[in-house]
Amino acid sequence: MIAEKSSKTIDVQINKDVLVVGAGKAGLTAAAQIAAQGYKAVVIGNKTACACGAGCSKEMQDAGLVEIQDGTSLVDIAGVAGDFRVTLGKGEETCEVTFGAVVVAPQYTGVPLNSAYGLALNDKVISQTQLEALLADDAGKEKLVNGSGSTVAFLSGFGQEGDPTATGRVLASALEIQKLENCRSYIYAGNVKVGAKGMERLFTQGRNEGVVCFKPKTMPTIEQDKENVKIVITDPVVRADVELEPDYVVVEEGVVVGPDNLGIAQTLGIDADVDGFLPSNNVHRFPVKSNREGIYVAQNDVDAANVALQVKALIGDGVRTLTEDIAVVDDTKCVICLTCYRCCPHGAIFWQDGAAVISPAACQGCGICASECPMDAIQLGEFTDADLKSGVKEAVASAADATPSIVAFCCKNSALEAGEAAAQFGHEMPAGFRMVKVPCAGKVDVDFIMNALVEGADGVMVAACHEGNCKAERGNIYAGWRVEEIRQRLENMGLNKDRVVFTTIASNMAREFACKVNEFAEKL
Amino acid sequence: MNSKTGKVMVIGGGIAGLTAAWELSRQNINVELVEKSCFLGGHSIGFTCKATDTCKQCGACSVEEMLANVVNEPLINVHLRTEVCGLEKKDGFSVSLAKSAVEEVAPQGVLKGFSHHNSPLYVVADGAADAPEGAVSIDTLGSEGAVDVDAVVVATGYTPFDPNLKGTYGYDKWDNVITGLDLENIIRENGSLVRPSDGEKPKRIAFIQCVGSRDERLGNLWCSEVCCPYAMRMAGVAKNADPEAEISMFYIDIQNSGKEFPVFYEKIKEEIRFVRTIPVDIYPLEGDSLELRHMAEDEGAPSSEQFDLVVLSVGIMPGMDTAKISEILNIPVNQDGFLDAVPGDSGVFVAGTAGGPGSIAATIAGAGNVALATMNYLGGSK
Repeated sequence: MIAEKSSKTIDVQINKDVLVVGAGKAGLTAAAQIAAQGYKAVVIGNKTACACGAGCSKEMQDAGLVEIQDGTSLVDIAGVAGDFRVTLGKGEETCEVTFGAVVVAPQYTGVPLNSAYGLALNDKVISQTQLEALLADDAGKEKLVNGSGSTVAFLSGFGQEGDPTATGRVLASALEIQKLENCRSYIYAGNVKVGAKGMERLFTQGRNEGVVCFKPKTMPTIEQDKENVKIVITDPVVRADVELEPDYVVVEEGVVVGPDNLGIAQTLGIDADVDGFLPSNNVHRFPVKSNREGIYVAQNDVDAANVALQVKALIGDGVRTLTEDIAVVDDTKCVICLTCYRCCPHGAIFWQDGAAVISPAACQGCGICASECPMDAIQLGEFTDADLKSGVKEAVASAADATPSIVAFCCKNSALEAGEAAAQFGHEMPAGFRMVKVPCAGKVDVDFIMNALVEGADGVMVAACHEGNCKAERGNIYAGWRVEEIRQRLENMGLNKDRVVFTTIASNMAREFACKVNEFAEKL
Repeated sequence: MNSKTGKVMVIGGGIAGLTAAWELSRQNINVELVEKSCFLGGHSIGFTCKATDTCKQCGACSVEEMLANVVNEPLINVHLRTEVCGLEKKDGFSVSLAKSAVEEVAPQGVLKGFSHHNSPLYVVADGAADAPEGAVSIDTLGSEGAVDVDAVVVATGYTPFDPNLKGTYGYDKWDNVITGLDLENIIRENGSLVRPSDGEKPKRIAFIQCVGSRDERLGNLWCSEVCCPYAMRMAGVAKNADPEAEISMFYIDIQNSGKEFPVFYEKIKEEIRFVRTIPVDIYPLEGDSLELRHMAEDEGAPSSEQFDLVVLSVGIMPGMDTAKISEILNIPVNQDGFLDAVPGDSGVFVAGTAGGPGSIAATIAGAGNVALATMNYLGGSK
């Protein structure tokens, strides 16, 4: 029986308030931008920036469009986009509040990286922040000048690779120091990070005003005793050691992910990148989306604007049209093994009344759950198992006259695009090559592949997005595992395992895709 | 409420213009998208994927996706081969459009779009005989006349640095000295990296950074921001395709590629050789290889090395239409020649590399920011 193809839609009322987790500059700016679109923004966390300065005007606050709950923290979250039920806590007290969307504005802390240079902080070895504090007023500047002037050495980019923001702070301070009587700045940098607006000009200005910049290949040799610090590098041009005993050494600061950041990410069920920064490094989520619908990340003003766009597109006027049958669980088959709950990359699966339930508000339709379900209890409205099997049957039948016949399960986000492009651009492809569209390679389960072989395909290709480029985060990885499993099965049965291959491709690489398909056909 | 026509004009169909147009349309705003050439997508639609089995976040596939979004969006009205030739401020803006000059957008014969989402996919410039099926004559493209809109987003993009201005590299003279953009075309057309002179796979490849950028003598006091990430990703692709390849990168300072940069940089340092110096000149040798002369970093003495292919990382320069756009729209130009930011209440906004260098990712984010500012100017969507 083939399930009805047409999707059923339903309009649901959703909550229009937005929770902003993080009351630094980015969080408050996001709140202001969201409030400017007419939605109420509730900001929690420890407030570290001026609300008015971030655009949260007094009018907005008076009108209740921006509500800042300084010191309140995120305890727990349930529900889905449009209906997040959030537990907030302050001290011993907790309360539950409903929000339509959630914005995370992580606050990272800077720590001096003195130990990376083998230095102990003291009166003369200070952090960039401490130096900026000294330069902020006359008393501090006088201390730096210390009667007869000082030399100040900056260490930058050896403890951590650094970025234009850090380099900008070093250059600004170095230029300030050059202005002080008899004071000189020396910068020891790994790579001078000028990759941001105005930075090359700032760097050039520094050089013109006498800031000396050394760029040794490796970290300078640094000796610190009670009183003094000696920095030694080898200059390749004069081929000699260059020694400096500065009056002050300024060490760079590294940005670190604190336990708070990781805790918030874990509570919200969103992925971080390898360094622990939010969100995960997936181009399809860029700039502000997370792996969960309705949860966004803002790190700066530009992100804040993009978050407001996303919130507006999600919440609109408070009614959201959802497709009911993106993925549906057959509750007569479900045994609540929780496989689907564990493998869903989008936090869209819950359970109630003895069966798993997939929320159409959070499901992104990848179908990983449907393939992983041991009871075959999950069907996607647009891609039912019956549809896919008949699709495979048709594909093999239509290619029956050609040798070899190849069925390629193509992810609609990448391989399908590349394949269509290859056809349109007239790149040569084998006559028996047929594509079967899948929502994500994660939807391709072992049965479909076996099915294609049983129907008579000479070869089966599963074509997914490159690792790290999957819209469902891990759909391509599941697909790779399943292909490997089948290849082993074929080998165990004494069959040629190379009749089934897994490959990854990008949507814009038509020629490369054609080359890969031709290579496969050649081998068959 | 500044909205009278409920329409915004976006000038430029590169990734900045595409993103701004699509974000506005998502908020139910009509967009007139004007593109000078015959195809949407700008420079970045021509970029190839930089994955080495794992995604390297170059963003090229995002451009493909954004182009598909735009061409399938009924609220966006696309004007190909069209440029803005005048603007009158009257209760909004009346923008005069004209067909862009054929010789500027269509050098010869059959022109091909980079993406299968380009529509038309082929344009025939001068009645070429062997036009592919579905090809459209350039004469049928282009809009003329005045269009009334409430706001204008300028996304006219950049011009790549002309490598001939660094004559000692012999870009025009030696076949195997190419730019990063040339390399993109080679990979796109061949499916793999080969050198122009004989179609062979190059074994020794050099990337030269900062060609036109960070150059005080040329007065180009800016970093183009994208070339270090670009060259490192491309070097990774080349090394992945041919582990035997010896790749060197000549540089001043390595700039970051975005998230997870430290991990990426550590790995690529194991795969390619980084040389901190900018080469002086390039000479041809027998067998189509090249001699590249530079100051050896460790010895402080002149040195020379041989390569099969030299890739110039040409920088991002102000767009060729910047001066004209600046005059028509009354947008100030900054000291580097890029468009300056415009006050938010003027109804004119600048997005993308028209305002200065930026990666695909940064451009997409920045264009979203501009879309929101435009919406706020219009006084809310509708």
